[in-house]
Amino acid sequence: MKKLLLLGVLMVASCAPLIAQMKQVTGKVTSSDDGSALPGVSVSAKGSARGTTTSADGSYSIQVADGASLVFSFVGYTSQTLPVGNRSVINVQLASDNKQLSEVVVVGYGTKKRTEFTGSASTIKAATIAERPVQSFSQGLTGQAAGVNITQPNGLLNNPPVIRVRGLSSLSLSSFPLVVIDGIPISTDNVSANSTTNNPLADINPSDIESIDVLKDAASAAIYGSRAGAGVLLITTKRGKSGKAKVSIDSWAGVSQAVRLPDVLNAQQYMDHKNMAIANALLLNPNAVTSTQRNSENKSFLPNYNPDGSLIDTDWYKEVYQTAVSQNHNMTITGGNDKTSYYFSGGYSDQDGFLRNNTFQRRSGRFNLDHQATKWLKLTTNINYSNTFNRAPMSGSNAGGAFNTSGLGRIAVAQVPNLPAYLPDGSYNLENNTVGRMNNLLPAQFPNPAVVRDLDKITSENTRLIANLGAEIRILEGLTAKTSYSWDRRNTENIRFFNPFNGDGWSTSGDAYNNTARSDNWNWINTLQYNLTLAEKHNFSAIVGSDVQKTRVLNWGAQRQTLADFFFTDFQGNFGTNLAAGNGIYQVSYEAYFANLSYNFKGKYFVSGNIRRDGNSALSTENRWGDFGGVSLGWTVSEEEFFKNMDLGNTISSFRLKASYGKVGNGNVPNAYGSYSTFGSGLYGAVPTLSFNQAGNKDLKWETSAQTNVGLDLSFLNDRITLEANYYYKDINNLILNVPQAPSKGIPGNSILANVGAMYNKGFEIALTATPINTGKFSWNTNLNFATNENMVTSLVDANTPILTNTSGLEATSITKVGYSAAQIYGVKTGGVNPANGRRIFIKRDGTKVQYLHLGGANAWTTLDGKPTTSPSSEQQILGNTLPTFYGGFNNTFKYAGFDLGLNFTFSGGNYIYNGSQAGLRDQRVWNNSVEVLTSWKKEGDITEIPRAVYGDNVSNGSSFLIDANIQKGDFLRLQTATLGYKIPADLSRLGISSLRVYAQGTNLFLLTPYKGVDPEISSNGDSNLASGIERNSIPQARAFTFGINIGL
Amino acid sequence: MKLFTNKIGYLTIAFAMTVSSCSKDFLNAVPELDLSDATVFSTPARVLSQVNGLYGSAKSGSLFGGRYLIYNDIRGEEFVNRTTNSVTGYSTYQGNQDPSDTYLAGFWIQGYLTINRANLFLEGLTANPNAVSSTLAANYRGEAKFIRALTYFSLVQFFAKPYILDKGASPGLPLRLKGETSSSNNNLARSTVAQVYDQILKDLNEAETELPDSYSTALLNTTRAHKNTAIALKTRVLLAKGDYAGVITEANKIVSAAAPFRSTTRVAHALQADVSAVFKAPYTTTESIFSFPMDATNAPGTQNQLGYYFNAGNVEYYLNTGSTGIYSHPQFAATDDRKTKLTVATTAIARFPSSTKFSGVSPYIDFVPNIRYAEVLLNLAEAEAEAGNLNRAISILNAVHKRSDATYEFTGLDTKANVVRAILTERRIEFLAEGFRANDVLRRGEPLNSFGAGTLIQPSDPRYIYGIPLVETQTNPGIGN
Repeated sequence: MKKLLLLGVLMVASCAPLIAQMKQVTGKVTSSDDGSALPGVSVSAKGSARGTTTSADGSYSIQVADGASLVFSFVGYTSQTLPVGNRSVINVQLASDNKQLSEVVVVGYGTKKRTEFTGSASTIKAATIAERPVQSFSQGLTGQAAGVNITQPNGLLNNPPVIRVRGLSSLSLSSFPLVVIDGIPISTDNVSANSTTNNPLADINPSDIESIDVLKDAASAAIYGSRAGAGVLLITTKRGKSGKAKVSIDSWAGVSQAVRLPDVLNAQQYMDHKNMAIANALLLNPNAVTSTQRNSENKSFLPNYNPDGSLIDTDWYKEVYQTAVSQNHNMTITGGNDKTSYYFSGGYSDQDGFLRNNTFQRRSGRFNLDHQATKWLKLTTNINYSNTFNRAPMSGSNAGGAFNTSGLGRIAVAQVPNLPAYLPDGSYNLENNTVGRMNNLLPAQFPNPAVVRDLDKITSENTRLIANLGAEIRILEGLTAKTSYSWDRRNTENIRFFNPFNGDGWSTSGDAYNNTARSDNWNWINTLQYNLTLAEKHNFSAIVGSDVQKTRVLNWGAQRQTLADFFFTDFQGNFGTNLAAGNGIYQVSYEAYFANLSYNFKGKYFVSGNIRRDGNSALSTENRWGDFGGVSLGWTVSEEEFFKNMDLGNTISSFRLKASYGKVGNGNVPNAYGSYSTFGSGLYGAVPTLSFNQAGNKDLKWETSAQTNVGLDLSFLNDRITLEANYYYKDINNLILNVPQAPSKGIPGNSILANVGAMYNKGFEIALTATPINTGKFSWNTNLNFATNENMVTSLVDANTPILTNTSGLEATSITKVGYSAAQIYGVKTGGVNPANGRRIFIKRDGTKVQYLHLGGANAWTTLDGKPTTSPSSEQQILGNTLPTFYGGFNNTFKYAGFDLGLNFTFSGGNYIYNGSQAGLRDQRVWNNSVEVLTSWKKEGDITEIPRAVYGDNVSNGSSFLIDANIQKGDFLRLQTATLGYKIPADLSRLGISSLRVYAQGTNLFLLTPYKGVDPEISSNGDSNLASGIERNSIPQARAFTFGINIGL
Repeated sequence: MKLFTNKIGYLTIAFAMTVSSCSKDFLNAVPELDLSDATVFSTPARVLSQVNGLYGSAKSGSLFGGRYLIYNDIRGEEFVNRTTNSVTGYSTYQGNQDPSDTYLAGFWIQGYLTINRANLFLEGLTANPNAVSSTLAANYRGEAKFIRALTYFSLVQFFAKPYILDKGASPGLPLRLKGETSSSNNNLARSTVAQVYDQILKDLNEAETELPDSYSTALLNTTRAHKNTAIALKTRVLLAKGDYAGVITEANKIVSAAAPFRSTTRVAHALQADVSAVFKAPYTTTESIFSFPMDATNAPGTQNQLGYYFNAGNVEYYLNTGSTGIYSHPQFAATDDRKTKLTVATTAIARFPSSTKFSGVSPYIDFVPNIRYAEVLLNLAEAEAEAGNLNRAISILNAVHKRSDATYEFTGLDTKANVVRAILTERRIEFLAEGFRANDVLRRGEPLNSFGAGTLIQPSDPRYIYGIPLVETQTNPGIGN
């Protein structure tokens, strides 16, 4: 009823403008680049709502009042305003323009001209991403937008990147921005149920993306209300343009390899070092290595020889890593007439990882269609169908997998080097669940990576349809109703077969686990939009609407163990044990109503406000509705007469101030049923059980974020230099936390979801875009974006109850505490190695220095003067922040004649990383070590970082509990991509080719960093808010070289 | 204008449809695979399922289904580590365990989860008096108390100073007897060891009166608590308390005065003629007073399985054949059934002897024994010896030993000390790999001869017991250290 009323009001208002003396103007709009006709250009009479668009051949016809001006605007081109005068034919050439200020911004439920936009958003053109050797567009965003920080966790293919818009947005809820593709919010979590990584965003072919708009402040994001707490990524796919069919073919192929692998001991160094460590250990404990596991000389590691007599010295990197080949092909056909336009694409991507047997394939097809059915009805439809296939061996590099026994990232460095992968007869060298020990008297600890690599079969495959049907009804001049229904249907098949010979399937004589997930996600949006201009000065725009979404995910699966015959290598074979596994059902629904009103006066003063009411099924019945909204103001100073009259006005082509404030929520509650207390069903032997398995919280309510943004847009020298600067402050309240409970209370999981915390993020963002040189033949475009972020946790359960988080559930690494930024590294301070005795010195909280002697029994821990003391393991201190305090990108494009050269740098810093892999590399168990251990303490007076080697010591190196000796600064500068392209200038039209470009690209060509691990861009815990900045046993990043071709027909 | 009105009409319909699709139920999403706490007492079957849930909670692989037993055995002198894997107890084996250890915390977490479930169940039974018959309600109460007592006793042995050292005056455990479902009550100090023992014995005494005499099948008699089960556990608790008269009183309720020693009341517990029968399917002889059942669909879980640790699973630990280990002890003769039938000289995995009590391979569904009649007998024998009744003590010791090694004759059983020592040695043989070793040393306040540490760990050594897990000290400021 309210809506009808509103309609009525708008109706009356629309009758107001009177029509002056009119005349007909016609003409043609072409591109200044190549003279081609530009269809779809908006042509409007300035100051009125009257407008049209150009047809397929670029022509238009419009009725305008005498003395009016016509405004020609088109995405990607500089708008032009021309007075009609007495002309009746006006032909226009529009110049293409990549400068941000003149473009449109895709915002919630519509678009806005950037000149009228008073929020904070970045637009990323997707063209550069499509050429990159990545699996999902999300990986290509690094360094492209101010205030958007992307971390690629490691080089495992299709590992979802960590994306943070203006810092960490939550602690227990996801801090990953809401991703909306052509209107429908889609899930972004890794959907693999095994150790492959399956980023569902890879189901979208990056080549199909026109642009990515990142909504960063509440004014822009508040229209997504409850869902926008972490920012919003709006993905707009390409659409057809009327005109004759255009075909483009884009292909690339390339190679990649692992970089920055640590140097480990060779076979001889290994044997010498470990035997020395055993000798040292036996002096302390006669059972350190039992007598049956060493020879008469107390050596346990003895040489093994190849048939030709040479010493076996295995480079395990060769078994695990490779130079990988990838290829990617896309073909698109676009075209249409004045009524109908279409975009059709087919894509195929086949990528191999530098980790052997790690592959990614995508086959995708997209069909986007726009049809003007009647003068008042426009229909839009998008259909995207894709199949993505991810395969990876156990790598230890997926979130939660760091300590997998058969994780190849760790095995590659830690496997014993004097043992071979294969026996002389070509068979695998095996002993129980490890590589065979040959002459060594102590067994190895890790499986033979060749077996894990070859015989395990681990895949995750998505088949996905994203379809959208929309209608736009023009009810009146300026009044439009839109409806859009989207359906996102994903089937994921997860297959895991562990071979029975070595690795995770050994103890169960083979293990097969299949799981299939069916996700049904639909979304229906209805909006009513009204635009009105009064007296050529007052511009109103109003929108009201509703948005409902429901996601239901069904999982089912089974696990089979104990192969009847090792002949079988699939789930479908015959097994002795059959178990239910991977079953689940969950459902989340959202319901929202919203309104937005924008007003500007003469394009000078802007005010905009929006409100939204949101319901979320994952919150308690009483608290599931929340109210959100924002306001923003803008002042285009450069439109003021006084400014235009100033000298400065000639230099500064545009100057605008803007401010916004708003409140948004975070709807990504990690548990769809967190408000319920439940009992789970299980078994006791063969009888059914019921057990208390979740303490719910009936008071669970919205986590909200109040966001302030103050900024300015400046452009100089006729937009040759543009600057956008923003200050932001995000105050997050009612943080939903998994509040830790004393384990002695026996609360399942030792935590209860509750709204207890608060934190803020603040910082500056600067985006500077310039064309320092443009001689016509030679040009240089550059973009520098830079952002700072200060994260601060201001309240939790109480000041003394921090949140402690483990890496992969095992290693205590991270603490989140009031007064610090989230996810600090938490461990014990150390004070080097005591030159007198080679023992690692640890520092307790009170500053007491103690030293450790492995196998020292009651004297393991002593003060420096030798008195026994207690272990400092529980004396952890906060050792360093893991969230970068600054980051950005520096992107350059040089063009000379047909050549183009792109150099994209990314940088980040101010953070520390826990290099847990280094702890492993210095572990004195049977594991191989970094060559650093050759400098271990040997005699009194030795000054070294590496303690005296005592066999079995996992304390001095930091394996047993985290020590600060393994913490390093994470600052870096990377040449992310360097691309050299050449556009063939010859006229190839006789061959039917309208354009042809070839290019070569290098990714990750150099890296400057003090960090010693595989890469400062690392996250062994994936998207975790509470345990970021951890490297533990991950494979490194890739360096890639690709060669590509773009053909236009 | 007509067109216009029509469009308004369509639009209104579209909006109406959106709104109607959002009926009140639209935002209602309730768990479809878990039951609401409001419904778990709604049928007698669900109440029974809850009872079984308490046992199921206790039998978790991180507690009595595996690791509790394993960690008891690897702290002593009987086993040698083969794999140096910190995930399978290596640091505890070496005496380097630490309050931050995930698996030690696992005992605490799973133990208290079980205790809370028992507390909630007891409160729920009171709040739903008509859920089941009053007889069944009493039986179920007894079972919940039995589980709570077993769990408290097992935790107090790991995480507190042995009672015997100072009559239980040391800090014990936070004694939680109320169901917890909210964020309050994190702060709770430790009660003394003596207070914890008092609660355990109170629970067991009440359980003894409430529990049924027996169940309808041998399987239930083995896997659910009945009166004799509570009595048997009392003998263990009282022995650890040094209350020998109490042990004798309780044990005599289920042990006949003279050989052949057997229970003449309720379930007819007795030693089996062949000890290896106890460890074979169906695992439900009358010797197995209380065991945790396993099933292919309810297995102990990865790296929790006894057979994986001690047998051909992965021989994480093999038998110490050196002079300190029981394997080479003269009381453990080569002809002993427990050596010939329950150990092997080598396995496919290792060239060393292994225990084969848990002989099943993957998925490792050997039942895990918790209380055997042999234990009650040796508890009684030890108490009798300590109380001065050497004859009955020796008679019981012979009954246990000669069952497996009929020709063996003890010598030198002339003093109390020698008899007690022989009984303690017999326990090492009889309960090898059954999770008794460290507790048997600690309950007597003796030094722990840790093979892994290569040294004796004295009662004064901080390594003698496990520290309160870090996760508890971080969330319960009252716990102290």
